[in-house]
Amino acid sequence: MAARCVTALVGGYAAAAVLATLIARLLPGDRAEATAWGMTLSFLFYAVIGLWCFHEGRLARVLAAVWGLALTGGGLLWLLGVRP
Amino acid sequence: MAWIHGWLGLLAGWILFAMFLTGTASYFRPEITRWMQPELPGRSVTTAQAATAAVAHLQTVGADDVQWYIYLPDARTGITRVFEQPNPKAPPRPRGELQLDPRTGDPIAARDTRGGEHFYRFHFQLQLPYPWGRWLAGLCGLFMLGAIISGVVTHKRIFADFFTLRWNKGQRSWLDAHNVSAVLALPYHAVVTYTGLITLVVMYMPWPIAANYAKPLDFAQAAYGLPADAEASGTPAPLVPVGPLVAAAERRWGAAATRVVIRHPGDRAATVTVARHPSASLDARGASVTYAGATGQVITQSPDPGPALATIGVMLGLHIAQFAGPALRWTLFLLGATGAAMVGTGLLLWTTARRRPGVAPFFGLRLVERLNIAVVAGLPIGMAAFFLANRLIPADLAGRADLEVQAMFWTWGGVALLQLLRPARRAWAEGFAIGALAFAAVPVVNLLTTARGLPWSLAAGDWTFAGFDIAMLAIALLLGIAARRAGRPPRLPVSRRSKVLVDA
Repeated sequence: MAARCVTALVGGYAAAAVLATLIARLLPGDRAEATAWGMTLSFLFYAVIGLWCFHEGRLARVLAAVWGLALTGGGLLWLLGVRP
Repeated sequence: MAWIHGWLGLLAGWILFAMFLTGTASYFRPEITRWMQPELPGRSVTTAQAATAAVAHLQTVGADDVQWYIYLPDARTGITRVFEQPNPKAPPRPRGELQLDPRTGDPIAARDTRGGEHFYRFHFQLQLPYPWGRWLAGLCGLFMLGAIISGVVTHKRIFADFFTLRWNKGQRSWLDAHNVSAVLALPYHAVVTYTGLITLVVMYMPWPIAANYAKPLDFAQAAYGLPADAEASGTPAPLVPVGPLVAAAERRWGAAATRVVIRHPGDRAATVTVARHPSASLDARGASVTYAGATGQVITQSPDPGPALATIGVMLGLHIAQFAGPALRWTLFLLGATGAAMVGTGLLLWTTARRRPGVAPFFGLRLVERLNIAVVAGLPIGMAAFFLANRLIPADLAGRADLEVQAMFWTWGGVALLQLLRPARRAWAEGFAIGALAFAAVPVVNLLTTARGLPWSLAAGDWTFAGFDIAMLAIALLLGIAARRAGRPPRLPVSRRSKVLVDA
């Protein structure tokens, strides 16, 4: 249960932040607009990921999905760097 | 999903209740401040006149300042507020936010108070040091969002629940009341929760900005057309009259101005940024236009926002609701009250659903019950104490604004402790009764200590003061009814269906 809570709260935030930032970074067009889309959607991602952490029965799947998303997405963002 | 809903609601419930109550009060932030400074007569001048008068005052006291912020009066606030950002090289002198008479520009003599600003700040800072209060409020907002989503999933009969309220049936009634208050205003709750998170999105979710901009300030500049913070040139040049610039900006928008920011006044590089009043549009990120302070030429203006930035601006606008006229504002106030009712009944439900007839309540149950009383019955008493302190603390006492705030928290804390001496059901009834008396006392004390009591404000057609006093009486009546009902013994034992729902 503790692993689930930490994953939902911390991992969920990381995964939601990564998704929002990927949208902001990769969406073509005006960068201020892309940034705003990412920020607007971020809390929806966070809430849905957080709830799913408790809904999904298998803990291993929760850990793999949430932390996997956060780490791979984070790595991708690190490779991409700040939009030139 | 039912158990997640229960835990999310329980963990964040008390703070959410306080946020709902103070946030709902904040719909009337300027009106509360007006009521808390009864010395100030309501006056109306044009924003351009007010800007001219404020600049004249600032030029005498702070000609060497780096920046002046002038918050122009509107029909609801009635006063000008100014704030100076001092020159770091100048000798320090005491300064803070100053209230000015909009006509003369002189500092006004009224009792020192935090006014409606206190509830507004508490609503998202929770009286905790920066940034912890904001983070805690954000976490509770997120729990609220999770509770709304899981709550909708839990209540499959959501449409039928809309029409279901069975009074006086013990726990069944609390579940019904929770459902009705939640479902009836569900769109409002969902909107106010999500938009509340969005108001501080730049703090909670700065990463999208970091991925696109090397300097975060560049985002503000690109999105809202704010001028870059230019350095002073060092060459003095007189500031053009600011009143005509405000009038020109207002003609440009066809709407009132709300704020003037003057950077490097008296320098050749001075800028004057005028911002549009948020009542002009659903988008609270109002337009702004920047003039050169030495020539009065337009330097830059905010771009028309694209769909995403407009979405954020409208979300902000929906949350702070400055676009709303009186009727809509009262509607939102009532919806906010249903939010507090939803959280409150949800908290009560947690205890009633776990109480077994003939079994001594376990520690957690007693703890939750006592915290429920402390917050649901106690906080309103504290808020009434804040208003009463405003009228009872001498108007010229030094540090009185802080004393008012302390009166609220000491009263609230005292009630939270004293109720432990009473059996729980008596504590509920007596807590609500004290709240009813305290709110009823507010208009009485106002009548006795000022010349703007309810009969006089009604006679004068002063709806800010009359509305405030009537609202206090209505809240007192509501709390009185709550006290009466809370004093009655419960009727029915736990029904099977709701037991299944809660145990699920």
